[in-house]
Amino acid sequence: MSSFTKSAQQWATFARSWYLIDARMQPPGKIANMCSVRLQGKHKPIYHALSDCGDHVVIMNTRHIAFSGNKWEQKVYSSHSGYPGGFKQVTAAQLHQKDPKAIIRLAVYGMLPRNLARRTMMQRLHLFPDDVLPEDVLQNLTEQLPQPRAIPRMLREYSQEERDAFPLLWTPPEDFRMK
Amino acid sequence: MAARYVFRSVWTSLSLSNVQRLAFNSNSSILQNIIRTPLISAFGNIQSRGIRQVVEKTDGKTTTIEGTIVAAPERPLPPNPEGDCPICQWNLNHKYNYTDVLLLSQFIRSDGGMLPRRVTGLCATEHRKVTICVQMAHRAGLLPDHKPPLPEGHTPKRPKPQLNRYLTRWSIDSVKPIWKRGLKWCKVRMSVGHPALRDNVRFGKKPLSLKH
Repeated sequence: MSSFTKSAQQWATFARSWYLIDARMQPPGKIANMCSVRLQGKHKPIYHALSDCGDHVVIMNTRHIAFSGNKWEQKVYSSHSGYPGGFKQVTAAQLHQKDPKAIIRLAVYGMLPRNLARRTMMQRLHLFPDDVLPEDVLQNLTEQLPQPRAIPRMLREYSQEERDAFPLLWTPPEDFRMK
Repeated sequence: MAARYVFRSVWTSLSLSNVQRLAFNSNSSILQNIIRTPLISAFGNIQSRGIRQVVEKTDGKTTTIEGTIVAAPERPLPPNPEGDCPICQWNLNHKYNYTDVLLLSQFIRSDGGMLPRRVTGLCATEHRKVTICVQMAHRAGLLPDHKPPLPEGHTPKRPKPQLNRYLTRWSIDSVKPIWKRGLKWCKVRMSVGHPALRDNVRFGKKPLSLKH
């Protein structure tokens, strides 16, 4: 005999859950990949493209995302207003300074399928530039997803024991004065 | 520790006359500077390096103060002592990256530049790879305390926006935006990482992509 009723299972299956992702020091593409799967509901066994079974995704710290390579300067976001001469191009750094949520939003929007449900799924994406979340969002959250990239530690974040445990690879000469 | 020795010598010298004391103080400050420089250097984890013990001898009227180098304690031997350079001796070829700041910090000065190859004994290829890794670690902000000091009394007018980055190959001021990516089959790519580190050990089946 099961410990839950069929009606409870039905509610749990079709309820929308809220996922939290911390985007600090994470590449926006990997964050967007995780988001687009959850927003479409592709991680569920009951998934069907027409059944609108996507979940909510909350992303915090979008101001502190990290790009690999020189993409802050090299990557260009283009748009056209529709009017003559309305073609605009801004680099990723400029766009990020203007709107810290824009890069993640554009990355997720580009990974969603091009159909009528796209805007609906985008409405279930909640972006916050810092780690301050409103109370109503906090109450809805069900699960925090692990970060896709391991954040490397700074040199000052290593403790003295770890530094002492690391072997010294070479011996400086006796008369050498370290600068 | 060395500073303590110096202070002790200063205290013992206080019994001399006033003029001599002044002279001694100025001397000792210079001495202290010389001794203390290695301590605050890039070798944060080497205590034995450059520590000198001040030995004071009184021979009648003349007092000689001498700094003798304290012998370094024993270190564990590398697993492959026949290797040419420190990296080969410790079998670390193709095994380090920009995130291994404990390794990289042994090869840089306190202002973040590389130590010369004739001092560290690295072979040319490894020296080049360590240089690349140190650059990428600097650009990723992993070595925040190893920066050249600002000139005296200088405060930057407008702080630059702090953008997190990693695997940055080119210096930040040297790159330009790619306004035209080109056609779909011949796109202008953005380089990520460095091809010199292509042979590094990787765990996982995903192929390495250096051009995004």
